[in-house]
Amino acid sequence: MAKASSLSNSTALRDETVLRRVRQLGSARDGLGEWRLQRLTAVALIPLGLYFAASILWLAKSDQTTAAAWLSSPVTALLVILFLLAGLAHALVGLRSVLLDYVHTRARLIAAQLLIRAAAIILGGAGVLAVLKLFLGR
Amino acid sequence: MERPLSPFMIPVWYRFQITSALSILHRLAGIALALGSILLVWWLVSVAAGGELFRATHAFIASPVGMLLLFGWSIAFFYHLCNGLRHLAWDAGYGFEIHNAYRSGYAVLAATALLTVLTWLYVLLA
Repeated sequence: MAKASSLSNSTALRDETVLRRVRQLGSARDGLGEWRLQRLTAVALIPLGLYFAASILWLAKSDQTTAAAWLSSPVTALLVILFLLAGLAHALVGLRSVLLDYVHTRARLIAAQLLIRAAAIILGGAGVLAVLKLFLGR
Repeated sequence: MERPLSPFMIPVWYRFQITSALSILHRLAGIALALGSILLVWWLVSVAAGGELFRATHAFIASPVGMLLLFGWSIAFFYHLCNGLRHLAWDAGYGFEIHNAYRSGYAVLAATALLTVLTWLYVLLA
């Protein structure tokens, strides 16, 4: 079976880019949205990260009961969920930009992106469920 | 001669500069923190589950390997936080002059060291 085009294999273009080039729709980049998301989450992560780091220090020598009680209070539950989701979104944009710089093969790039997205979704889901369990079970 | 590609420029094409070194360090710290999110979620799940899972997780974190990982993540966290503020200032248009970029770079390193030391002094003494 002949390969349709070498373009998509020799470069690491995204699906949307190829389609938009074919349709001549202009730039297929969504860099601005990503750029904004990275900065927005960065700003949010300053207070959230400091709050979480300080809390972890405070909890450092505590037992499970104390940690569970801390996580089940409404303000903590909300802030920890926000910290986790902002952190994962921020990490996803950052890791993706690293992949785009270093992975030059289309198949590998797509596989790596699927992997980090799946990891972020699983981690986010598990973390939110864990906090919700403690919050709803209080 | 091979055309130079963007990564891996430093030892061959450019001499060492603190600015580019800090830039790479920012990425490395970000990757480390992304990996740290696995332990973070693991810890949240262990608190929610309680019992044996929490004890095992707590024992791992309190072990020498766990403490070493936490120490590394604390450096990565404070560095990425401080250097992230530097990046946000650049995004807002401040600090682009070369001498300011160098100065803020050294300030970030100093702040990272200070925050890390203070944090671990608190952990070890409190």
